[in-house]
Amino acid sequence: MAETVNIALPKGRLGEKVYEMFASAGYRCPELENPGRKLTFENREAGVRYFWVKPSDVAIYVEKGVADIGVAGKDILLEYRPDVYELLDVGLGKCRMCVAAPKSFKDDYRKTLRVATKFTSTAKEHYAKTGREIEIIKLNGSIELAPILGLSDVIVDIVETGATLKQNDLTVVDTLFDISARLIANKAGYRFKSEKINEIKKNLETVKENRK
Amino acid sequence: MSLLSQPELRAALRGFFESSGYRRYKMSKFEEYDLYAGNKNFLMSEKVLTFTDTDGKLLALKPDVTLSIIKNFRQTEGVEKLYYHESVYRDGGHGFREIEQAGVECLGDVDEYAVCEVLSMAAQTLGLIGPRYELDISHLGILSEALSPLDDPEKARVIELFGGKNFGEIENILEQNGVSEDVKARILQLSRLDCPAAEAPKQLQDILGGYVSWERLQLFCDTCEILGRKFGSKVRVDFSTVGDISYYSGIIFRGYLSGVPQSVLSGGQYDQLMTKLQKRGRAIGFAMYLDLLEPLIISSGEFDFDALLVYPEEAKPADILSAAEKLRSRGLKVSVMPYEPADMRFGEIYRLGKDGDLIG
Repeated sequence: MAETVNIALPKGRLGEKVYEMFASAGYRCPELENPGRKLTFENREAGVRYFWVKPSDVAIYVEKGVADIGVAGKDILLEYRPDVYELLDVGLGKCRMCVAAPKSFKDDYRKTLRVATKFTSTAKEHYAKTGREIEIIKLNGSIELAPILGLSDVIVDIVETGATLKQNDLTVVDTLFDISARLIANKAGYRFKSEKINEIKKNLETVKENRK
Repeated sequence: MSLLSQPELRAALRGFFESSGYRRYKMSKFEEYDLYAGNKNFLMSEKVLTFTDTDGKLLALKPDVTLSIIKNFRQTEGVEKLYYHESVYRDGGHGFREIEQAGVECLGDVDEYAVCEVLSMAAQTLGLIGPRYELDISHLGILSEALSPLDDPEKARVIELFGGKNFGEIENILEQNGVSEDVKARILQLSRLDCPAAEAPKQLQDILGGYVSWERLQLFCDTCEILGRKFGSKVRVDFSTVGDISYYSGIIFRGYLSGVPQSVLSGGQYDQLMTKLQKRGRAIGFAMYLDLLEPLIISSGEFDFDALLVYPEEAKPADILSAAEKLRSRGLKVSVMPYEPADMRFGEIYRLGKDGDLIG
């Protein structure tokens, strides 16, 4: 029997959609659908073993080779730049990385711009392009609160529908890039399990095409 | 999987490099910082551990061996073949780490034979450690030429995407830059090229024939054919094997071993670096990262020592010494203690009797 491919799925709504895509592609795992207390879920016949991890950790599991493949957001890939193959845009979890600010915001170039974000590398890289002097304020959640309470002038964060921004009287002032979930693979794992990984990729592509 | 212990691995590598006609190059742990400041992109990490010497000079603990070897290359003719086994000091993401590295460098009049020799040695080095290995090769000169419709920043971006097998975004960039359909198709096919070395010449001719320099393509195809014949499917041509084009100019390669999640060996031709450091000729070499091999290395044994000799408080030192020597004369590694330590493992435990006799 061929070797099992270990797959890291992101916990949460996106992960469930991703699993559904894998299931439709022929890699259903009944164990995972009735999880109980187990942490890893295997379908030997299909040659896959799944485990759920925090979305921001998927790339780490894959880069370190614990998972051969995984699905991670483009935002995480651009922020942490893991050394992995990015095999496919699975077309789920679509959103944008944006700069947002209170509606009244006007950039005052005489002052250092205070930027609150979870994505510090992304924010630094963006402002380095224009040479704008910034102060990064690293936050781990409730980013929208920062400009409202005067902790920052702007935020750099993910925007899906814009509803949260609207509720907090914030508006998008710049879009950095589009985001979607990507199928990633460990470079060494890919070398030794390429046949199976390419088969999974191809089947996911077919599911993606059929959904269009 | 054939497992080696650390000392066996080191001995095997040195033995192999020497039997291949490479001389040991021993170097100091320090280097003037300026060498790295001017070549940061060549280093795996830009962070360098520096300190001020007693004369005020800024020195660095070596983050890389190749730069120092090139800097000290003085030969006015011929080819210099060297190997090294050194520690380098790099940022591991959460602070500096000492990393053990072994590799070879071939400098000066590097001909096509020397290129094949180094590539062949890279594959053989991987094979010394485990039978399940793969050496991936590509050619940055050919890739760079194939991407000539793009300007430099876009070219660098596409090369990075080649490295990630991110075919979708490569296509987007080619479209955004108005690359013709014919050229776009060639570049996309090249990005997907991943086949045993023996099959590469035909595929490369199909994809790039008449588009890139014939001579360069032919030389690369010849090398692929030789490696394919010698190593079968263990050597593959995969254009996701990339590096910085300002340093690497020709063949570039990475080695993988089953059981290790990263590439354990990397190398390539860095003729541009020779020019940059005002040295004559061409250069090719590779490094193997010994710290990454830990999952494949066996510790020196199941036990800390073959035997423990426990002596009672009243035993005479002369009796203890002679009992220990008796055990060691049997070829055993013997630890001598007045008690049995709980945190160590021994193959056998002996006790020293009152009359100085050994009780097994």
